[in-house]
Amino acid sequence: MKRYSTMLLLLLITAFGWMGCKKEDIPIDEDGLLITTRAECYVSNFELLGSDFQTVRTKNAVIDTVACTVNVTVFFGTDLKNLFPQFTLVTDAKLDPKITGFTDFSDLANPRTYTVISGNRQVRKTYKVIVTVQPR
Amino acid sequence: MNAKFLGYILWFFPLCLSMVACKDDKYTVPQPKNELGNDCIKRTLGPNVAGLKIEFAYAMALPATKGKLVSAQVEASIQGDAATYLENKSYYTNGSGEDVGIPIGDPSVNEGAVTKVTFTKDTNAVTLRYYYVIPPAAKGKEVKFTFSAKSSNGETVSYAMGPYTISNMDMVLDLPVKNADACYISIADMAVYNETDAAKNAAKIDLVYLYRSISGISFNHALVSPAADTTYLPGVVLPTGVNRDTKIRKTWNLRDQHLARLQYGIYIDDVDFQQLDMKGSPDYAINLKSEAGAWVETADGKYRAYIYMNKVDDGKKSATISMKRYTLK
Repeated sequence: MKRYSTMLLLLLITAFGWMGCKKEDIPIDEDGLLITTRAECYVSNFELLGSDFQTVRTKNAVIDTVACTVNVTVFFGTDLKNLFPQFTLVTDAKLDPKITGFTDFSDLANPRTYTVISGNRQVRKTYKVIVTVQPR
Repeated sequence: MNAKFLGYILWFFPLCLSMVACKDDKYTVPQPKNELGNDCIKRTLGPNVAGLKIEFAYAMALPATKGKLVSAQVEASIQGDAATYLENKSYYTNGSGEDVGIPIGDPSVNEGAVTKVTFTKDTNAVTLRYYYVIPPAAKGKEVKFTFSAKSSNGETVSYAMGPYTISNMDMVLDLPVKNADACYISIADMAVYNETDAAKNAAKIDLVYLYRSISGISFNHALVSPAADTTYLPGVVLPTGVNRDTKIRKTWNLRDQHLARLQYGIYIDDVDFQQLDMKGSPDYAINLKSEAGAWVETADGKYRAYIYMNKVDDGKKSATISMKRYTLK
């Protein structure tokens, strides 16, 4: 009986070890992010920071999820060459290109575009960030 | 049979492990040396900037049966400024939390790089503060200190501290600037000029301070390069020859301890200026608030600086600024 219980114990440990090392077959994308079933694809909030990491918006950005535009008015005198955009996206979505640091928004005639990719990585929507400087 | 042994071992092994894990390290109370001893700590933090002090606390003691302390001295590898001194008082904190000094000897004497206190009271144990005022000659060099004490029985002990690198930065505190008056800032001279003096030093004027209250926009206190777009210099008539294009970048939450003298333990050091990348920075910074700051690079690329706004006064259209400067070339 004792022999059986010892063997059972060993078997149990082996089983646990095997389970611990087993990799689940979870779908992930090229960035190592989880691919889910969500198809929602939109920007829910937008922030723009200056070189001092303080907001440069005069008011909340207007996000049009149908026209896929983000309209933001910035303070007079904002250094448009060094702005840090921050997007809040719907759950599981991701942004392309990624925000890696300060970005040049000084070409007001050609607004920058960012693509939102849904959680299931099937839906892509390209948003235009239209910056307007507060007039004097 | 084998499985039975394996079973025992399997239980015995974790038992051993848990015993090892709970084992206490043995500790023995250190035995004091029956001789003259000393110890030292550095009390100041942050970069060592010329003009500032480096503070040390030097403790020395010997058993009463062995004699008493005769003298204490510090030798710096680079002679300190004339204001360098070694305290001749031993401090204790009274019930009200105040430090009360008890003189133990004559005020210290500086002889070259050596600062010495000769004891006049019977003293067996004391901690003396040493304040090394960094001389401009030490900039960019390393400085070392040798603390030593002598007792009446002829014993001598010493304690080496350092080396400490002395910063290449220059610093100036509390420069008052005023709209349309003392508003021309020179990084090269680390000074503020009025219009007449600015005309005389036109080639050295890097920034103009101005205050404007414009409805609908937040202009307020600003540091603007003379060559900036006139939109950012409304109503400013620059003296002849004042035309440098200085790069400036606003910052927030960078309250350098030396400049701000507030509770924040943040220090700007040489390395910050060395790694500063001012490419693509504008030539104006408007809406600067109290406790804000700005990184600056002069048009000739000779200096980089950090200007801190200690105080701003909208009513008087003035501000108080402090500056740390690093020479690149």
